[in-house]
Amino acid sequence: MSVAAVHPGGIADHIHPEPQGFVRRYVFSLDHKIIGIQYIITAFVFFMLSGLLAEVIRTQLLNPNGGFVSSDTYNEVYSVHGSAMVWLVIIPLLTGGFGNLVFPLQIGARDVAFPWLNMLSFWIFPVSGLMLFASFLMGAPTAGWMEYPPVSLQGAAGTSMWCAAIFLVGVSSTMTGINFVVTILKMRAPGMTFTRMPLFCWGQFATAPLLMIATTALAAALAALFIEREFGVPFYDPTKGGSPVMWQHMFWFYSHPAVYIMILPAFGIISEVLPTFSRKPIFGYKLIAFSSMAIALAGFMVWAHHMFTSGLAPFLQLPFMILTFVIGVPTGIKIFSWTATLFGGKIHFSTAMLFALGFIGLFTLGGITGIFLAAIPFDLHVHGTYFIVAHLHYVLVGGSLMGVFAGMYYWFPKMSGRLLNETLGKWHFWLFFLGFNGTFIPMHWLGMLGMPREVATYDPQFAFWNRFESVASYLMAFSILLFFVNVLWSIRNGKRSGPNPWGGRTLEWQIPSPPHYYNFKHIPTVYGLPYDFAQPLPYKGLDEELTDSPPAVAAGAH
Amino acid sequence: MTAATLAHDAHGDVDQLYIETRELRLQGFLLFLISDCVLFSSFIFAYLYMRNSGQGWPPPGIHRLDVPFAAWNSVVLFGSGATMHYALENFKHGHWMRYMIFLLATIVLGAGFLAGQGYEYTHLIYGEHVTWAGSGIFGASFFTLTGMHGLHVFIGVCYLTVLVLQSSAGVYTRGKYFGITAGTLYWHFVDVIWVVLFSIFYLI
Amino acid sequence: MNGAIVERFGAVVAGIVVAVVSFYSLYKDWHAVGVENNVFKLMLFLLGVGAILAILAGLNVIGFTAS
Repeated sequence: MSVAAVHPGGIADHIHPEPQGFVRRYVFSLDHKIIGIQYIITAFVFFMLSGLLAEVIRTQLLNPNGGFVSSDTYNEVYSVHGSAMVWLVIIPLLTGGFGNLVFPLQIGARDVAFPWLNMLSFWIFPVSGLMLFASFLMGAPTAGWMEYPPVSLQGAAGTSMWCAAIFLVGVSSTMTGINFVVTILKMRAPGMTFTRMPLFCWGQFATAPLLMIATTALAAALAALFIEREFGVPFYDPTKGGSPVMWQHMFWFYSHPAVYIMILPAFGIISEVLPTFSRKPIFGYKLIAFSSMAIALAGFMVWAHHMFTSGLAPFLQLPFMILTFVIGVPTGIKIFSWTATLFGGKIHFSTAMLFALGFIGLFTLGGITGIFLAAIPFDLHVHGTYFIVAHLHYVLVGGSLMGVFAGMYYWFPKMSGRLLNETLGKWHFWLFFLGFNGTFIPMHWLGMLGMPREVATYDPQFAFWNRFESVASYLMAFSILLFFVNVLWSIRNGKRSGPNPWGGRTLEWQIPSPPHYYNFKHIPTVYGLPYDFAQPLPYKGLDEELTDSPPAVAAGAH
Repeated sequence: MTAATLAHDAHGDVDQLYIETRELRLQGFLLFLISDCVLFSSFIFAYLYMRNSGQGWPPPGIHRLDVPFAAWNSVVLFGSGATMHYALENFKHGHWMRYMIFLLATIVLGAGFLAGQGYEYTHLIYGEHVTWAGSGIFGASFFTLTGMHGLHVFIGVCYLTVLVLQSSAGVYTRGKYFGITAGTLYWHFVDVIWVVLFSIFYLI
Repeated sequence: MNGAIVERFGAVVAGIVVAVVSFYSLYKDWHAVGVENNVFKLMLFLLGVGAILAILAGLNVIGFTAS
């Protein structure tokens, strides 16, 4: 179906009747903005819980002999920490949270394509999160977030609970993905062609198919693991003819694209924050947009680089190595484009901008160690050591989580109508930045020296740097605490922001904060890219947005 | 069918809202089918992976599957695809009675396929003692994949039964019949999955 | 043995009917436009292929069995 089928006035330009009552408004809401905020709140609750687990890990590692928790508990703690951070924090925050909250506004839609499906996929998410944490009650999984068989086959009853929880959160992701693809394909405002879409929408547009396709592959792997654990049907058990390596294939066929699910929306956030705070058009708009798609596509073809030590046939290893190097190219294009956007700009160091700049630096470090790891000889040396831990935290915390914080400081006014406190925000940034680097930089050389990951005790020669890391991680936890204090304080007492506190040029800044439940009084018409700061805004039909006039389309029941 | 042509042969019961939401629902449904397809593909990958890592197929002690019966049963399912196609065609052209007959024929053929699969399962489990959990990777892959497909067929039969009831109650009109289109898409999808499963389990 | 022959015969005859019907429908719908009609065309084609496979299996050309 051609894009021309998007009708003047947007698809299905009608306004649902305003929801009445607290429950329909804030609990079982159909409004994409409320659902986005629900996602963000829920994910931050899970973030606190799994952050606590991370601090348990670091406290255990204060001493070479551990002693804070037992080894079995330690296994449970890091397994649930990893699973929760990936599936309950980063993915929901970036797709369900910021995706829901921002991109329908940015494309000029009144809501996502399937609001009921959206509500359903939100409500599955906290349920599955509770299930995952409830697995502690019956013996949590102990094989890490990857749950490799045969260890996961022997794990306690909670491992089956883990399968069910991740399966459910996968169903939620799949539905979100379907919803977002249809929304972006069909519900853009008139004139909002693909090459005029804001880059955050491009990030979501590259992510949504990954959510939709890759997550189902994980569902199959999880279903098979569940069936094997509960009914004894052999898939992975080598003594019955199954293959544990098959799990690794199926798992990484999901989880490598999942890495891009966790980073592409963050790329989108950064691409919004940087031009706004350097008052300069983004450099290489099309390159950034298309490189997202290239990363998403290539992400499906590199999964086996996680399995170089798993006995992969040598003739398969080389193509996977080369393809992984190739993914570095579109990522590098992005980094260069962002740097070029900064060059000669009038940079305003707000907290959101600080996080975006921190993102560029830290993500580049994480990306470069990723290139190291793609090289088979190096990977064979550091596989299963703290070098991997350092790499993945640089990408997921230094990349995705920094993106999340940049987005929080940037879009919090749009959610609440109030600004987050900048002073506290800057303390948050600097303490987080220092604490993060202090925690994870030493892991690089610890890993090179051979300190294995996922082990409760370690050789005494690593004691100094481990203590250093633990202390730095407390600093990081303290900075997160500052962030929560900031949010809770600013919701009531923050400075009123007005519709557009940052001088942003995408559509969401042209309407009141927080927006009406119908988003736009008139669906605007779009004439160009949003990033050209020298030109007037490329929108028409927004004149009445900030006035008291009623919306153009009457609210009607359907 | 594009929005324009649909509006063109509208019979006074199609509004703009329906046309637009129909486009959304159609796309959403196709994307759902794609992700369902990935689910099957993953299990098919698992089956082929296990099949090629073992000591020949079928593993020692297990007979080859009964091809003639499966061929016959497959044709029953493929035939139901053809009748479903004609059900939709007749509905589009307003032949309500023929639509009903073809729809009912589809249900009967689909149920027949399920019965055939039940017969095959009974034969395997009680005749040859091949079970889901007790026969190694053969039982695991065969019963999981065909069972998952059978579940899809069962859901499809239920869906089509609902379609019969809804059609009798006059839910669908000549302008508004997305439910029937979706049912046809789903049913074809289930058929096509069986083409693949039939080939990889019985023919190679 | 007898049952197998009946099944083979049924598979071949019904398979021919299904294959002819699907390819004929495909031919008739060839110029239909729209997303779902294109999907239908693909599916009808695969359905016809499936029917041909069933015919060949019924004729014991592919998927050899011991009998």
